[in-house]
Amino acid sequence: MTSQQSEDQDGSPPLPFGPLPSGRHRFSPEQVAHHQRERLIAGLAAVVAERGYAAATIGEIAAAAHVSRRVFYEHFQTKEECFLAAFDVVFEHLGDLLVAAVAAHPGDWPQQVVSGLRAALGFFAERPDLARLFFLESPSAGPALQRRATEVGLLLAPHLRAGREQSRMRDMPDSTEPSLFGAVGSRIRNEVALRGSEGLTALLPEMVEFVLIPYLGGEEARRYAAEAEEDQP
Amino acid sequence: MNPLQPLPGHAERTPPGESPVPRDAAAADRRRRILAATGELVAKRGYHATTLELIVRRARVGYPAFYKCFADKEAVFLALFDGAAARTAATVGAAVAARAERPWPERVAAALDALFDSIAASPLPARTCLVEILTAGPAAVARYEAALRAIGIPILQPGRDLNPRAAELSGALEETLAGGVAWMAYQRLVAGEADRIPSLLPEALEFVLMPYLGEEETARAVSALS
Repeated sequence: MTSQQSEDQDGSPPLPFGPLPSGRHRFSPEQVAHHQRERLIAGLAAVVAERGYAAATIGEIAAAAHVSRRVFYEHFQTKEECFLAAFDVVFEHLGDLLVAAVAAHPGDWPQQVVSGLRAALGFFAERPDLARLFFLESPSAGPALQRRATEVGLLLAPHLRAGREQSRMRDMPDSTEPSLFGAVGSRIRNEVALRGSEGLTALLPEMVEFVLIPYLGGEEARRYAAEAEEDQP
Repeated sequence: MNPLQPLPGHAERTPPGESPVPRDAAAADRRRRILAATGELVAKRGYHATTLELIVRRARVGYPAFYKCFADKEAVFLALFDGAAARTAATVGAAVAARAERPWPERVAAALDALFDSIAASPLPARTCLVEILTAGPAAVARYEAALRAIGIPILQPGRDLNPRAAELSGALEETLAGGVAWMAYQRLVAGEADRIPSLLPEALEFVLMPYLGEEETARAVSALS
């Protein structure tokens, strides 16, 4: 029970992406990164959010990070490598949010799922720049990123797989969890691409229902979805 | 090259129907060559590394001819995607129509089977539709999402008739499931394992049937596959 924390406590490590745009964030200005590498990652995120990955140049990324191009090459060999670092920071943060959600509801797997989905949707709703980077731009950043994105579902799968204990259907295929993450990711990408990230938190009830159905069946999944809807701010 | 093809500017002066190669046939041929060249280049190099210069050279057309057909590289690529998406929809639709009298789970299985087979049979065009399309900017992503819905919803939605609480299912369920199936194929395509995609059929079927049928009926439908 060493790393347990309520989901409202600020126990997540800082994201090296500078101050957050809204007042509801969990990262204090003190947590803003100071290292060059982190500034470069933040610079990449800013330039990509504005111009897209394909149009972003290393010169612009270095300028946004207030470092020279030479410093960029001390840390990264290519734009793709810098993007991969930024992607992994977001990915690790997602993992931390899920770990915190699990810790906040010990022994209550469905609430862990609700809480994890709420935290992830809330995070991307507050950070449209990172939602764009993670969901819309990562496929453009080359084969390494495309493969990395497919690992997200595999690496996050254990959080969901715990739900198999609840299910009578113990012999679900191994791909169930990665596919659920893929479907959720595709739904989020759809929303971000067509309507922007602001409305992501409104997806919580449908996401809760969708993820819980294979484990709990439709009726119980809908009950949790309805509860999640009532708890929406 | 047809030696009787009208010189540039000549066709415009020839009344329709009298030219040995009608102007719209020549234009259609150029359009087809541009699309084919773009498809080959994108499959080989990716969307962003495919330049307009490479396209016109490979298609053996001039820039003016290119711009008569398409506004820019994105426009060709979207036309290429639309054609492939329409062919996929037709292939999948035909597989479903051939089993119009069969129960819904069988029709879904036939649709997934046809889809996965067509991807495995031509992995390069499939990469264009499932991987490269997502790299080509917001218009392309919107086009992709629309195609997912256009193909997925008509196949999956009848499942609601089998679910007594269908009205309570989320309205976005079909597109979410379609996104999940596309993701299964995407994972294999970027890993260079297109040949393994047809073997995903049982798990993909289970994945899409479950929300409509529940576990018991889903298990029955999946075991009926073999």
